[in-house]
Amino acid sequence: MQKPSDERLVAYLDGELAESERAEIALWLERDEALRERAAQLTESAALLRSALDEVLREPVPERLIAAARGDTTGTVTDLAAARATRTARRFGDRRWWAGMAAAASIFGIMVGSGIGYFVGNDSPSPPAAAAWLDSATVYHNLYVNADADDHLGFDVAAGQKLPQNFRLPNLKPWGLDFQGVRYLIIEGRPAAQLFYTTDNKTLGPLTVVVAQTSKPDVAPAWEKHGDVNVFYWRHRGHAYALVGTADFGYLWNIHNDIAYQLDAI
Amino acid sequence: MPPGFRAMSVPVSDQLIAVLPRLRRFARGLTGSAADADDLVQAACERALTRAHQFQEGTRFDSWMFRIVQTIWIDQLRSRDTRREEVEEQGMHVGTDEPVRRIEARLALQEVRIALRELPPEQRTALLLVTVDGLSYKEAAEVAEVPVGTIMSRLARARIALQAKLAAGGGLRRSASDAKAE
Repeated sequence: MQKPSDERLVAYLDGELAESERAEIALWLERDEALRERAAQLTESAALLRSALDEVLREPVPERLIAAARGDTTGTVTDLAAARATRTARRFGDRRWWAGMAAAASIFGIMVGSGIGYFVGNDSPSPPAAAAWLDSATVYHNLYVNADADDHLGFDVAAGQKLPQNFRLPNLKPWGLDFQGVRYLIIEGRPAAQLFYTTDNKTLGPLTVVVAQTSKPDVAPAWEKHGDVNVFYWRHRGHAYALVGTADFGYLWNIHNDIAYQLDAI
Repeated sequence: MPPGFRAMSVPVSDQLIAVLPRLRRFARGLTGSAADADDLVQAACERALTRAHQFQEGTRFDSWMFRIVQTIWIDQLRSRDTRREEVEEQGMHVGTDEPVRRIEARLALQEVRIALRELPPEQRTALLLVTVDGLSYKEAAEVAEVPVGTIMSRLARARIALQAKLAAGGGLRRSASDAKAE
C-alpha cells in the first residue's frame, strides 16, 4: 500500500475505514514518524475545534428559539418578557410537568436572567432524593474515573462488543462523548447499568449514565452536588436515571433532554 | 436492565427543543456570529414546523434539521455579497489579573474560531457535521446531499487547512489541554 493520503489519514482518524485498511495505515503510523506527527496535529486541531464550540452547548437556549420551536411566532421580546413576568413557576411533582419537553423547556426559559441560569433551580423544594442510591452512583463513578490499569476494573460489555438485544444505548457522540462500555452493578439491592462515556474535553467529562429499575414513583429532574461531581437525576416509569460527572448543570440538562428523548424516558 | 422500548412518536416541537443546543452550535460554527446563528436557528425552526409533514418517521430528526439550517444559510450567503462575509467581532476582554495560561488558552480558541470562518462554506459544513457533531461520513453526506466521497474530500481539505492555519498562527503551540483549561 502506498503511503496514506491526507484523505485516508483523516478517514482513519475518524474511524471510517474498513478494518483491513485501518490495519495497513496503523502499520504505516508505526514506522513513519512524520506521519505520526501529522496524525497527532490533526487530532489536536480537531480537539481544539470542538473545545471552541462546546461552550455553546452550555449556554441557556434563548426564549425566542424555544418559542419558535413551539410555533409561537407572535412573540416579540417585549411580549415574551411580559409573559415571563406573569407566569408562575411550577412545583416539582406537578404531573403537568411531564406534558412534553416543550412545556418543561418553557419553564426553564422563563427563568433566564434570574441569576441562577435558566433552571427553576433552588427556589422550589427539591423532591425527596434517593440519597443512598445517588451516593452509590457517585462512588461508582469516582471509582472508575480514578481507576488505573492495575485495578482491573474492566467493562462487562465494552464499546464495539454486542449489547443485549433489548439494550437501548444512548448515542451521545454529538455532545462529544464517546461510549466506552457498560458495567452491571447492584445498587441498593437492585440491578443497575452504568454506561461510561469519555471525552477529550475535561470540562465535560468523563460522564456516567446510571439506569436502574425502581418501584418508586416518578420524580421530575433535579440535581445535586456530591463532592466534586454533579449529579442530575430523575425517575420515570419504573426506571431511575442519574448523570454523574464534573460538567455543569446546564450541560447535564441538555444531555438529560437528549437521553430522555432517545429512551422515551420522560 | 435499561429500558429497551422504542421511542414513541414525539411531536416535532418537542424534538426541536431537544435538538436546539446542537443546532445553535452548528449555526454558530457556520455563521461565526452568535446573533446570526440564533436568527438562523429560529428561521430553521419556523421552516421545520411548516414542513413537518415532510419529515419521515424513523429517520434522523437531527440530520433533517441540520439540512434545513444549512440550506437556509447557503441561501443567505448567495443572496448577499459573499466576498466579504460580515462577521461579528467579539472583542476578547482580558482581565488584568487573568493568568497568562488562561489568556493563551482563550487566544487559542479564538484562533480556531477565526480559522473556521476562513474555510469555504462547503468545507466548514463538513467539518462541523463530522468533527464537531460526530455524524458519520454517510450521515453527513445525506445532510449535505452529496456523495460520501465528496464529504471525505471536503473534510480532509478542511482538516488540513484548519491544522495549517493554526500551526501558522501559533494556535497549536498552545497545547489542547491548555485550551481546555478555559
